[in-house]
Amino acid sequence: MNFFKAWHLRDIITLALISIFFGVIYWVIIPLYNILTVALTPIGLGPAANDILMGVWVMAGPLAGYLFKIAGSATLGELLGSVVEMFLGGQWGASTLISGIVQGIGSELGYTVTGYKVYNWFSLSLSVITTTIVTFGWDMIRNGYNQYHLSLLLSLFIIRLVSTFFFGGVLVKLIMNLLEKSRVLSAR
Amino acid sequence: MNPSLKLLLSLLIAVEISFTRSWTVNLILVIASIIWLLINRVAYRKIGLLFIVPLLPALAIGISMALWTDEGLDFILVLITRIYAYVFVGSIVTLTTSLPQLVASLEQNAKLPSKFAYGFLGAFNLIPKITAEVSIIRAAGKMRNQPMHFWSPTLYFKAILASLNWSENLAEAMTSHGFVEDQPRTHYQVIKIPVKDFYLFGSLLLILQILLFMIHLP
Repeated sequence: MNFFKAWHLRDIITLALISIFFGVIYWVIIPLYNILTVALTPIGLGPAANDILMGVWVMAGPLAGYLFKIAGSATLGELLGSVVEMFLGGQWGASTLISGIVQGIGSELGYTVTGYKVYNWFSLSLSVITTTIVTFGWDMIRNGYNQYHLSLLLSLFIIRLVSTFFFGGVLVKLIMNLLEKSRVLSAR
Repeated sequence: MNPSLKLLLSLLIAVEISFTRSWTVNLILVIASIIWLLINRVAYRKIGLLFIVPLLPALAIGISMALWTDEGLDFILVLITRIYAYVFVGSIVTLTTSLPQLVASLEQNAKLPSKFAYGFLGAFNLIPKITAEVSIIRAAGKMRNQPMHFWSPTLYFKAILASLNWSENLAEAMTSHGFVEDQPRTHYQVIKIPVKDFYLFGSLLLILQILLFMIHLP
C-alpha cells in the first residue's frame, strides 16, 4: 500500500481541484470539437477532430505528473478529470472512466521510464510520446482505427502527436515555468 | 444495485465490447440499459438525451469508415452501436447514482482510503465555486485586454494557484474538524452489498458471455 501512503489529504484535494478546473476549462472547447467534427464528417475525417484536440483532453495527466512528482499522480489526475467529466458532462457515463484510465496510464509511463527522478523537457517529451502511443492504440481497437489505410493512419497519428506535444508538452512546460517562477511550490 | 458493483459491471462490459464485434449484442446492451433506467424511474427527457449526444461522433465514425476503409456495413454497424452501448451502459451508473453515494460506497465496499474519499468529496463540493472562478479569471484578463484562451498558460496558472490556496484551507478545515489520515472510521450510514447483488452481477456478466461467445450473433 505504498502508493496510498505517499498521498496526503492536502495533495489529494489539490489534485482533485486542479482536475476539476481542467474539466471546467475543457467545456469551452466542446463547441469547437462539434464544429470540427461537423466540418470534417462530409470528407469522412470526422474522427480526426478528436485527434486534433487530443492534447487538450490529456493535458491534466502530464501536468499532474510533473507537479506532484509522485508515482501514480499522472494516472490519478486524468482519472479524476474523467470522474468530473462523468458527473458533469454526464452524457458519456462511466465509459469516460476507461478513457481517463487509458490516457492517465499513457502519461504515467513517460515518467515511469525515468523512475520518477527526472523532471524536465526530456521526461515531459517521453510522457507526450507514451500518451500518444497508448491513446492511439486504444482508438485502434475501440474506434476501428486499425482498419484505416496506412497513410491515413500515420497522418492521424502525427496529428495526435503534434496536438499532444503542444498542449501536453509545450503548454504544460510553460505553466510549470510560471509556477516555478512564482515560488508557490517551494513554499509547500 | 450497490454503486461500486454497478460501476464495476458497467466498466467490465464497456471494456469487453471494445474488443468484440457483434452489433446485435451492442444493441441488446442498449435495450437492457434502457429497461434498467426505466425501472429506476429515470426521467424520460434524460433517457432521450442519451440518443442525441452520441449521434455526431457515431455519424462521424460511420461515414469515415465507409469512405476510408474496405470494411462493410457490418463493421460500421458494430462501431456505431458500440458508441451507443458505451453511453447507455455508462449511464446506468451516472443516472441512477449520485457522486456522494458512489464515493461512500467505494470507501466502504471497495476499500478506497478515506483520505481519498473525503478529499474528493470536499473538492467536488467546490465545483460551483470553481466554475465561478474560471469566469472571474477570464473576466479579469479581458479587463486588462489580455483575453485568455484555452491555450493560454496564464489561465491554467491562475487556476492552479487557486487550487493550491483552496486545498490548504479545505485540508486545514477538515483536520480541525477531527479528520485524521489513515485512521479507522465508523460510519453513520453503513453500506453493505446484499447477496442478491452479487448474483445479479454474476448472472448479467454470464448472460453477456453466452451472447458473445456461445450464440454467435452477427
